Amino acid sequence: MKIFSESHKTVFVVDHCPYMAESCRQHVEFDMLVKNRTQGIIPLAPISKSLWTCSVESSMEYCRIMYDIFPFKKLVNFIVSDSGAHVLNSWTQEDQNLQELMAALAAVGPPNPRADPECCSILHGLVAAVETLCKITEYQHEARTLLMENAERVGNRGRIICITNAKSDSHVRMLEDCVQETIHEHNKLAANSDHLMQIQKCELVLIHTYPVGEDSLVSDRPKKELSPVLTSEVHSVRAGRHLATKLNILVQQHFDLASTTITNIPMKEEQHANTSANYDVELLHHKDAHVDFLKSGDTHLSGSSRDGPFKETITLKWCTPRTNNIELHYCTGAYRISPVDVNSRPSSCLTNFLLNGRSVLLEQPRKSGSKVISHMLSSHGGEIFLHVLSSSRSILEDPPSISEGCGGRVTDYRITDFGEFMRENRLTPFLDPRYKIDGSLEIPLERAKDQLEKHTRYWPMIISQTTIFNMQAVVPLASVIVKESLTEEDVLNCQKTIYNLVDMERKNDPLPISTVGTRGKGPKRDEQYRIMWNELETLVRAHINNSEKHQRVLECLMACRSKPPEEEERKKRGRKREDKEDKSEKAVKDYEQEKSWQDSERLKGILERGKEELAEAEIIKDSPDSPEPPNKKPLVEMDETPQVEKSKGPVSLLSLWSNRINTANSRKHQEFAGRLNSVNNRAELYQHLKEENGMEAAENGKASRQ
Amino acid sequence: MPTVVVMDVSLSMTRPVSVEGSEEYQRKHLAAHGLTMLFEHMATNYKLEFTALVIFSSLWELMVPFTRDYNTLQEALSNMDDYDKTCLESALVGVCNIVQQEWGGAIPCQVVLVTDGCLGIGRGSLRHSLATHNQRSESSRFPLPFPFPSKLYIMCMANLEELQSTDSLECLERLIDLNNGEGQIFTIDGPLCLKNVQSMFGKLIDLAYTPFHAVLKCGHLTADVQVFPRPEPFVVDEEIDPIPKVINTDLEIVGFIDIADISSPPVLSRHLVLPIALNKEGDEVGTGITDDNEDENSANQIAGKIPNFCVLLHGSLKVEGMVAIVQLGSEWHGMLYSQADSKKKSNLMMSLFEPGPEPLPWLGKMAQLGPISDAKENPYGEDDNKSPFPLQPKNKRSYAQNVTVWIKPSGLQTDVQKILRNARKLPEKTQTFYKELNRLRKAALAFGFLDLLKGVADMLERECTLLPDTAHPDAAFQLTHAAQQLKLASTGTSEYAMYDQNITPLHTDFSGSSTERM
Repeated sequence: MKIFSESHKTVFVVDHCPYMAESCRQHVEFDMLVKNRTQGIIPLAPISKSLWTCSVESSMEYCRIMYDIFPFKKLVNFIVSDSGAHVLNSWTQEDQNLQELMAALAAVGPPNPRADPECCSILHGLVAAVETLCKITEYQHEARTLLMENAERVGNRGRIICITNAKSDSHVRMLEDCVQETIHEHNKLAANSDHLMQIQKCELVLIHTYPVGEDSLVSDRPKKELSPVLTSEVHSVRAGRHLATKLNILVQQHFDLASTTITNIPMKEEQHANTSANYDVELLHHKDAHVDFLKSGDTHLSGSSRDGPFKETITLKWCTPRTNNIELHYCTGAYRISPVDVNSRPSSCLTNFLLNGRSVLLEQPRKSGSKVISHMLSSHGGEIFLHVLSSSRSILEDPPSISEGCGGRVTDYRITDFGEFMRENRLTPFLDPRYKIDGSLEIPLERAKDQLEKHTRYWPMIISQTTIFNMQAVVPLASVIVKESLTEEDVLNCQKTIYNLVDMERKNDPLPISTVGTRGKGPKRDEQYRIMWNELETLVRAHINNSEKHQRVLECLMACRSKPPEEEERKKRGRKREDKEDKSEKAVKDYEQEKSWQDSERLKGILERGKEELAEAEIIKDSPDSPEPPNKKPLVEMDETPQVEKSKGPVSLLSLWSNRINTANSRKHQEFAGRLNSVNNRAELYQHLKEENGMEAAENGKASRQ
Repeated sequence: MPTVVVMDVSLSMTRPVSVEGSEEYQRKHLAAHGLTMLFEHMATNYKLEFTALVIFSSLWELMVPFTRDYNTLQEALSNMDDYDKTCLESALVGVCNIVQQEWGGAIPCQVVLVTDGCLGIGRGSLRHSLATHNQRSESSRFPLPFPFPSKLYIMCMANLEELQSTDSLECLERLIDLNNGEGQIFTIDGPLCLKNVQSMFGKLIDLAYTPFHAVLKCGHLTADVQVFPRPEPFVVDEEIDPIPKVINTDLEIVGFIDIADISSPPVLSRHLVLPIALNKEGDEVGTGITDDNEDENSANQIAGKIPNFCVLLHGSLKVEGMVAIVQLGSEWHGMLYSQADSKKKSNLMMSLFEPGPEPLPWLGKMAQLGPISDAKENPYGEDDNKSPFPLQPKNKRSYAQNVTVWIKPSGLQTDVQKILRNARKLPEKTQTFYKELNRLRKAALAFGFLDLLKGVADMLERECTLLPDTAHPDAAFQLTHAAQQLKLASTGTSEYAMYDQNITPLHTDFSGSSTERM
């Protein structure tokens, strides 16, 4: 795989001397009369192309195929030669297209048959071709700059395709000698220049063309090494379509192309729109698209194409696409194509169908019944590619399902939320360069990574790990806080969100904390709010360094939640124990009044966790305007427990029901001390032993879960 | 990468090995011991690898077709008989057939050849094969290089000195060379004994069968993963960039793209991305594949219940129909997506693009892809109804730009007919008439085909005389005008033959007619 092989640079040298104005003596009927109008009219006499016209259109066809299949990194320099050399374009990528070349050729015009043949020679063009091969292309320049001290690795090879009318074999030899000498000279020049490169390898393809019906004065000669730098081959070809065929074969050889014929393409008849017939279209593409056939020697697929015995084509059958569903095929290669007969009706029907966004699967015709889809034609942005699909057995067959592996048993992933996250983190091209404040170039992809970093600073993976992301009320804050910078409006929205949450807390609205998996035990309401505020704080804190406005959001949050200092908390805990007995009674009464199912969560907590806390909760409820909502920590374990373990997913009807039953049952007996003190439904045995050893029960609880 | 183990069962493999113990070993025992070790390693750490076992002497036989059942392979090892002489070439031809039948020509395979370095005698011996290598026809091609991407590992049940005493080593090195240098020869260090065989196979395992562990990252969300099969180093361009590129062990997600936009891209290889649980020492606890003993089972169950980023990512990619673009190294990217097995099982899969700044023309340069929040307006539209992809190339391809090709007469005739058809519908078709006329004019000027211009001019003049009485008067005017302009252009004088100067419709004004102007 070399970028800078001979095919990186192709120089066309086309003879523009007076004899090229001669007719190729192959007639073209251009006045095709439609039957019912032709009575009594004699069609116009057929015309014929000149040698020049044949040479130019054949070389344009060569370029057309090359540009279709290799729009980049394969360059053409076009030179016409008469009394001097006219270089029609440069190596720059902008000059590499048919329109430019056609316009330049039109400016040159056909050769003047009345010019003095003595002053005209193809030699001017050949000398200019060598000169131009020494010129560096932008790709070579780029590679050299990139490689620095290894710049000599960048090769400079090229090919000269010269179309002329030579006089004899010795004339041909003279041309070869001239090229050889010129290379020698220019390599010397290039050695002392920074802008030029020495030619390491040059392939000279001399095409002698002559009118149909004449005898050739020049004999064919296969490729021969004239010197370590120069190889040369001679083709003697009749003008007209023979020349075009020759150049078609050459472009395939030079660029490693192969041919595929799509067969069985159903197409509406021009005359009878409701009938359809099957057509074939021949496409050219890089031969790697046939790599499977070539390696397996599966030659039964190939046959001679209609255009001649020289080249082989592989036939693939059109499979009419059923739907437009989007699928990710396992594709091992995609190669640009060029139709051999670009303007024929079948070709343009096929290409238009593809350009309109449809894809076509292609099937290998097999003698046995099995259907093997081996290729796909599809266009991307106005370019058609032949995709090679893997049709052999997959080495990854029967893999373990993702649900069997790590994390496979977890069922409450935030799939939808992450889908939303992915959509927000989709990529888009930024073609114009952007600059950072310090003036350095900004790489969009780095910005994308940056954004992912920001968006994932706090991102719980499962529903039961989070409260705030299950709350619609938090969305306005959560969606903007991850941004790099906030507007005043964003800050205002965040503040509103926080006030709204305060309001919810005051009204004692339920929070979507679920207790799935904790067997009927859930935190009570104010504990829920504490968890929620903590989580929100974690989220906002993760972003405070983004900007001063982020800081302001945090300030607002802190002011609103006003966490009591720890000292006070400890005092409260002391007080709790004293009040325990008194308040339990009240709690039970309170429960009986409570009918709402929605609130059963809270009640569970009340009954199962110790009634003294409930009493305190009631106090808060009774005085919602209390400026300092006490923040209770009922058990030491609860403080240490990560939120993950406490809440799992949204509440299902089953869990509501079983909670109700559980609470009802729990009233009929006294709860085991072990279950009361359990963490994640596991009670540590012989805790006192450890406590005696100076270890905290809380730590044990934590360790046992990991 | 499937593996074919090719085991030499010729008589020379039964040569005894002098071991300073009571038991007497033959070389084939050593070989079986080494292979047992390899199979055991694969069964625990490389379980998804398909392996086949071929034995050969003067003939070859496929003992075990490609399987992941390492017990079967192990059993086959103990059921091998001794046969006649070594005939390597036919065995390698056999390997070619087996692999191509099963996997085709595109999937890379590893061939582990186990032999004692006795390369046979006479016809069919490796020496004979190599000596006649240059005199072969296409039909009797030497099987190397293998017609699929391959690595040939030669495990010699002999030490270096023994091989060097004959030309065996040279011949085996030739084999690797013939396989384009893809492969390696392993010999036993020191005396032939079980321990040294183990260390030789240990080297092979280190080289070719160590699982590839990586960390999948998406910002702060991470997961430890095993990538199977191991991603192989890739050489971009032998000449410019001869150093093989190796993928990072940090697989960093850079963003997401819809499946419709990425549109079945060509990839170098596909890999399963399996989440793994690592304990503190960094050893693998469970991959979800291994579940042999109870310890592992419970470890797996615990691992199954711990939320894992891979599972979350997989689920969302599947639901949303998207892929994650992942950076594999500098200027090397790949994509992560959900791949459904036929049996409703699905998996997180990673495909590697070809290294380079622009692996997919329809996405443009990877470095130029950025977050949509940086764009002035959402390129996907407010209702998610558009897409910034595919990128349109600057120049259209020939089939998309209505180029003129007259190499076949039919091409030219079609173009002339189009003009003629429109000429007969003047003045209604004035616009298309001139469009087609100018297209022909341009091509004729570029090809220096001035006779055609004159011919078409004559034809238009004739059409003018054939106009029916009912024809609109403008038709005659336009035909005459067009013919005149073409005649002028056909002289080739620069004034009238300017490529970019189109023939414009004659400005006429007939009351009631609706002459359009260009």
